[in-house]
Amino acid sequence: MNNAPALLNLAVLSLFAVLAAPLPAAELTVYTYDSFVSEWGPGPQLEKAFETQCACDLRFVGVEDGVSILNRLRIEGEQTRADVILGIDDGLLVETRATGLIAAHEVPLDGLSKTLDWQDADFLPVDYGYFAFVYDSSRIKAPVTSLKALVASDAKVIYEDPRTSTPGQGLMLWMKAVYGDQATAAWKQLAQHTVTVTKGWWEAYSMFLEGGADYVLSYSTSPAYHVVTESKDQYRAALFSEGHVAQVELAARLKTSQQPALAQQFLAFLVSPEAQAVIPVTNWMLPVIDAVTLPPVFSQLIEPARIGFTPEAVAGSRQDWIAEWRSAAVKD
Amino acid sequence: MPSSYRGGAGRVLALAGLSGLVAVTGVAFYGLIGFSGQVADPGTLQDPYFYGILGFSLKQAALSAGLSVLLGYPVARALYYLPGLWFRRTFLTLCLLCFVLPTLVLITGLVLLLGHSGRLAPLLGADWNLYGLKGILLAHVFLNLPFVVRALYLQLLHIPDTAWRLALQLGLPALTRWRLVEWPMVRGRLLVLGGFVFVLCFNSFAVVLALGGGPQATTLELAVYQALKYDFNLPEALTLAWVQFAIAGTLFVLLGRLGGSSWLVLEQGGDRVPVPGRWSRLGHGGVYLLCALFLLLPLLVLLPALADIPASLRLAPLLQALLNSFLLALACVIPATLLAWLLLWPQRLAQLQQRPRRRQLLEWLSTHTLAAPAMVLSVGWYVFVLPRLDLAQWGPVLVVLLNLVLTLPFALQQLRPRLLQFDAQYAPLCAGLKLAWPERLALEWRWLGGSLRAAFALVLLLAMGDVAVFALFGNEAWTTLPWLIYRYAATYRMQEAALASLLLLVVCGVLVWLLEQGRDGGA
Repeated sequence: MNNAPALLNLAVLSLFAVLAAPLPAAELTVYTYDSFVSEWGPGPQLEKAFETQCACDLRFVGVEDGVSILNRLRIEGEQTRADVILGIDDGLLVETRATGLIAAHEVPLDGLSKTLDWQDADFLPVDYGYFAFVYDSSRIKAPVTSLKALVASDAKVIYEDPRTSTPGQGLMLWMKAVYGDQATAAWKQLAQHTVTVTKGWWEAYSMFLEGGADYVLSYSTSPAYHVVTESKDQYRAALFSEGHVAQVELAARLKTSQQPALAQQFLAFLVSPEAQAVIPVTNWMLPVIDAVTLPPVFSQLIEPARIGFTPEAVAGSRQDWIAEWRSAAVKD
Repeated sequence: MPSSYRGGAGRVLALAGLSGLVAVTGVAFYGLIGFSGQVADPGTLQDPYFYGILGFSLKQAALSAGLSVLLGYPVARALYYLPGLWFRRTFLTLCLLCFVLPTLVLITGLVLLLGHSGRLAPLLGADWNLYGLKGILLAHVFLNLPFVVRALYLQLLHIPDTAWRLALQLGLPALTRWRLVEWPMVRGRLLVLGGFVFVLCFNSFAVVLALGGGPQATTLELAVYQALKYDFNLPEALTLAWVQFAIAGTLFVLLGRLGGSSWLVLEQGGDRVPVPGRWSRLGHGGVYLLCALFLLLPLLVLLPALADIPASLRLAPLLQALLNSFLLALACVIPATLLAWLLLWPQRLAQLQQRPRRRQLLEWLSTHTLAAPAMVLSVGWYVFVLPRLDLAQWGPVLVVLLNLVLTLPFALQQLRPRLLQFDAQYAPLCAGLKLAWPERLALEWRWLGGSLRAAFALVLLLAMGDVAVFALFGNEAWTTLPWLIYRYAATYRMQEAALASLLLLVVCGVLVWLLEQGRDGGA
């Protein structure tokens, strides 16, 4: 019973504290994909770092994946609460721009890594990675050295469905870049030794880790995770002589934002050395600027040549290429 | 006509509930149609690809349903004719668990067991490949056979003792006994169960995608998903959804007509079951053992994950997610069970008034969400709600609402036969005694017993396993356990994902076991 007055005091005090608190800071809402804001993703660290320099409240809204960010924008239209979107990839750039909701980022691009050669005025790259086939070097001593060699081999392969996953779409572009008009025959050949085609990246990757295949379609950066977090160094990405297709993850601000300056400040922060040092070891992708100190394993990752198509070319042909895949990639 | 069935308030509530349920589906379609401005895109139906998908959807569903029923029948017979089987109750609990097992857990188990380097791979020969039609059928049979076993076993228990006594007195040979006593009892149920499993597999999505092995294995539900999500082509998605709804819905109408009679079972027997001979005892025992092995192996193979607990695993988020899942499921299961009971009221009245058409219509309306593509229901609501409400606030309400609508048919299915049986047996008595509805309710409550617990368990576990609805309406502040598994896996944390799956499995197992305690007959 003695506690009652103390509790009352506490209540009164906290009421005063609430009343005396400064006006709520400006709020910046960022739509991103769910794993970006998970406790192991870059979200929490980036939020902390940005809030110390902006005197604002950064609010992440996580949706299922990159495509879902775009769909949510399409549904909400001009009423969207988002100030910034983060995590759309270059394959969806054209469709995202077509919503008419994207404003120019106004962040200088000359600090970005030359390998990216990025020129877009609306979308700002945040990280990137090369699609690559990952294998277990303790089981495979002489990995294949080209996409053509992999397709012609009888190695067990798992990859993702181009209709439902970004890496799957990456492989589709890769096949088109390497085989062009011959892609139908190549898909057919690959299908004969494909273990399965999964809905998403992690289904494929976990089946591979359980020993389900010789090669799995993933990213050139996947081995870094196993070294940094698990101290396992047997997983490697195979370097292919034809070059690799890249995925670039993008951020952009919205025309409808009530906080355009704050949104622009956040975009600039995303490509700062501070943020770029966090992203590679939490999102397991490569930084978009050169001057970043990373764990030593990042310098051992493969550095492939980049091949592929412009976002406009991808948007124009995607339907045809998917139709080609779904009729060709069938086991006899 | 018993007056207590006409109880005004109850019927008004029931009709309100039914209208609400139909409105939920209506809003979903309205959301999609309103946004795209088109009801359908007839062009979709001219694409040969569409017919390929439709053909495959039908084929795999027919095979899955056929196999589940054909294999489930002998197991149910074994349970019925050998009441002394070891671990019989545990086995029936396992059956319920398998039916509600999150597909994610099952697929991991199957791959660990039968995949490229699975435990059993050396026994299967070099040509074995899990992926493709084989894998889909294995997973579908694993999920649905246990359900068939339980339902058929229950049906067999209802063979009246008098029938067996008479058969024995007449000295009928085994085959004639089967033809005259057993077969008429299960025939209708076999068809209804087959049809039910067919609809579940026809609408299957995760299993087909994970084990299909390539574009040759594409179902309508996957095509709807792709059209909604990756192409954002709402008219195409709507067209596919109409087709799927029409096929599954028509099947339901047919089943409603076929299945009606088999519920009019009065007596419950079980004491006069003929004792099988030595050879047939061995046969029954063998069937039982094989089935138990088939159901246990993909689950047991998950256990070694326990030996390899990663140092980074933190218990707090796991337990928090588990609690969130449980609370959401609980918020869904109580209204779902009550609503199921309420919706059955006018159906039972129609049955008593011998108006089969009316009963079938009400039945169809109350279970129609099983035939409607789940993807369309949730995405339609998403499109409808997003510009109108703040998801951060309303998310949990919508997750509960949609899960309620999607799991309701399962609750109805558990309660319906038992309540119709109650009416057939006691309605005249209730009328004679002039019982008011509260008194009748108290009787019904006791009569339902096990079926109520089964309905509760089924809805609770199905809601706990939900990922699809949460993916749209949830957020990281109240992550559920299945979503946490996806999230672990999406950030390379496969061991954590395996452990979390195991935790989900164990919790589901314990819940089923608790709910099955003290039930009679195990049905």
